[in-house]
Amino acid sequence: MNLGTRKLLDRSFTALGIGSIVIMGLALLVVLFPIVTKGVGAVVFKGTIEHRKLLFTEFHHGAARELEKEVALSSNYRQKAFDMLASFDKELEQMPPERQDQYRDSYEQVKAALRALLGPLPGEEQPELARFRFGQTRWDKAEEKLHNLLYEQKWDYSNPDVIAKPYDVSRAASFAGTSLVRLFPYVEENIDKMMLPEWTFYWGFITDNSLDAHFFGGIWPEIQGTIFLAIGAMVFAFPLGVIAAVYFTEYARDGFLTSMLRSANSTLAGVPSIVFGLFGLAFFINTLHVSESKSVLAGSLTLAIMILPTIIRASEEAILSVPKTYKEASLGLGSTKWNTIVTVILPAAMPGILTGGVISLGRAAGETAPIIFTAAVSVGAAIGLGDVLSSPTPALSWNIYNLASEHEAAAEIRHVQYGMVLALVTVVLLLNLSAIILRARISKKLKG
Amino acid sequence: MQNSSGMSDDGASKQGRSSVFIVSARKRKLQKISQKSGEATLFLIASFVAIVVLFIFWFVARDAVPFFRLQGFQEFFTSSGWYPADDPPRFGALAIIYGSLMVTVGSALIAVPMGIIASICLSDVLPFTVRQYVKPVIEMLAAIPSVAYGFFALVVFAPLLQNSGGPILMWAWWIIAAPFLLLLVIVVSDLLTAPLAKESMKKTAHIGVGMLFGAVALVLLYFVGNQLHGLEIMSGTNALNVSIILSFMALPTIVSVSEDALQAVGRELREGSYALGATRAETIVKTVLPAASSGILAAVILGIMRALGETMVVWMASGNSSHIPDPFFNYLDSVRTLTATIAGDMGEADQVTGSARFHVLFAMGLILLVVSFVSNLISERIVVRQRKILSGQ
Repeated sequence: MNLGTRKLLDRSFTALGIGSIVIMGLALLVVLFPIVTKGVGAVVFKGTIEHRKLLFTEFHHGAARELEKEVALSSNYRQKAFDMLASFDKELEQMPPERQDQYRDSYEQVKAALRALLGPLPGEEQPELARFRFGQTRWDKAEEKLHNLLYEQKWDYSNPDVIAKPYDVSRAASFAGTSLVRLFPYVEENIDKMMLPEWTFYWGFITDNSLDAHFFGGIWPEIQGTIFLAIGAMVFAFPLGVIAAVYFTEYARDGFLTSMLRSANSTLAGVPSIVFGLFGLAFFINTLHVSESKSVLAGSLTLAIMILPTIIRASEEAILSVPKTYKEASLGLGSTKWNTIVTVILPAAMPGILTGGVISLGRAAGETAPIIFTAAVSVGAAIGLGDVLSSPTPALSWNIYNLASEHEAAAEIRHVQYGMVLALVTVVLLLNLSAIILRARISKKLKG
Repeated sequence: MQNSSGMSDDGASKQGRSSVFIVSARKRKLQKISQKSGEATLFLIASFVAIVVLFIFWFVARDAVPFFRLQGFQEFFTSSGWYPADDPPRFGALAIIYGSLMVTVGSALIAVPMGIIASICLSDVLPFTVRQYVKPVIEMLAAIPSVAYGFFALVVFAPLLQNSGGPILMWAWWIIAAPFLLLLVIVVSDLLTAPLAKESMKKTAHIGVGMLFGAVALVLLYFVGNQLHGLEIMSGTNALNVSIILSFMALPTIVSVSEDALQAVGRELREGSYALGATRAETIVKTVLPAASSGILAAVILGIMRALGETMVVWMASGNSSHIPDPFFNYLDSVRTLTATIAGDMGEADQVTGSARFHVLFAMGLILLVVSFVSNLISERIVVRQRKILSGQ
């Protein structure tokens, strides 16, 4: 091979390496970008009058007088639309029966679309579910519903070889020649006066309870559940892990027993997370009966076992990185071994141990599989601190799965899902970031 | 008198000293006992991990055995009919095991080459300052919760794949394959024309052969790209989607462990190779990689285990249909994995009476547990052996 080719190969090898690292960075960005941009949309969005109505009646946020003024303003414009419906009702009655049949179905569709946009029509009784009691609270959703009102979606089956494609048919055209035709351009033109959208910072998304299976409201129960579970896991795992690390680094002699314990540690680290869930179910709940069924306690114990190896490893590393001279100086002054460990080694290793702890905390907060069978429920209010021993809790990680995959209207509440994912990712990444910064500081300090 | 008093003084002090001595001996004994018992306590706490591992095996196996007692082994491992709700139920897990295998292999195909190359780049190519910024990126990739990846796969990636999967695959093929093919053409034409003696002839022959192969490569690029572009993807939640996402979850493990293995190969080997006139790429491929190969193998095993044991991504985005794709390598088909089956079916399984439907999930858990245990042991042995060999040199 000639020199030029060899040089080219060398360069392209370097390029390949840099390329794959760039791809990893890009992957991180590609995953985080939609989560961050759309997740922020759960808190900052154009809220309609319906949103403010909802906040006032269900969560008691906002001022009554201003709301009344706004409601009066918007119902002015809404009333005209409702009048058009009423006049079409009369017109429909006078039509011959066959023409009535022609319009009935599509008229019901129009009413349903209008209901979805503005809330219950006048004269109808208040529905049970909150999702039907209010119109669209978000302007982006309102625009979607407006489109549904103006156009009917039909499917094109004409070409049997390809998947059917949807296309829009104007509803105004199907009501041509009746008084209802006026409704569609009227609503389209005055939608912003009916809905009064304005930019909203809905901090309640973090601190409010959810309403009607997450159609409205916030994610506080999930956040609280995640905090309980993660902290509970740390309470069990952290002391155990640090003590075990002290044993491994300061007391354990090289031998069969020690190497077996180390093997056990790395085995535990490699167990698939779902198996921890099975174990938690079989052991903590079905055998030890720590609680009747799922509970925060059982979930915390399961998570604790899962993060134990990480804590042990990180603490071991931290203890080993304490300079030997510290220990020797302390022993040379006549202090006992245990005293040396408690007063010299552990304080010096503490930042490193905390780094491992913080990373494990993030891992415990983010894991889903171990808590599916042991702690998580899909819907529920925030539980009190006194209930952690016996009652299950909603948690961010589980509810993200549940809302995205099992919720009956998953596509309707994408913003809530994104908001939850952003909350979880933010917590976990902030914990990791602080660990990274902490570690950088330690390595600087150790370098002197 | 004086004398005697002096004597008694002396005696008293002597007695006092000896009593001090006795006390300190007892104290030392106590201290020793307390130290021993303290050490024993520490040992007990440290062995807690081993106890937990034993317990996990015991309790998962305890609930798995009834399934095999009820249903036997044969159907579970050889049939792909998974109808746990039928009467009589059928528990053929072959398709599910195959699904697990398929997404694991798929993610390994992406993650292993990328991970090894990235770890080489981290340990041998990038300067220290850049490395400091790259490492946090890899850590973040590892830190993002699996359910967030699953959400991304289901809500962002699956629709994208379904609506414009063909063009995406075509562009991916072009971007990845074009540089490789170009390089291949140059190297092959160089190798083919190297034996020619005359310098002037060599150059023209080089260019001619290069253009010939280049044309072949272009045709290949075009046709494969065209084929990919024409692909119609029925559902975005399929094995390909999951494999890609899983590969990015396995990458951090592979990169960090194999980087450690590469670092463990000393400077001397590298410098020896450079001194013989090798380029950096040649040094790495011919000297460093063989020396670190066992450590890299351990990294690959750990990374693959991460992909095999992952639950949320496959549960959300693999489509969860229990059948063997047709043809068997069709990554655009949806699959179902062991982990997703455990997570998904537990809700319907009857815990209280402990039916076969409940125990079969533990049987699957046991399979995962045993596989992870064995591969962990293997990778650990490999790492220990490599350390011994390297320190022995």
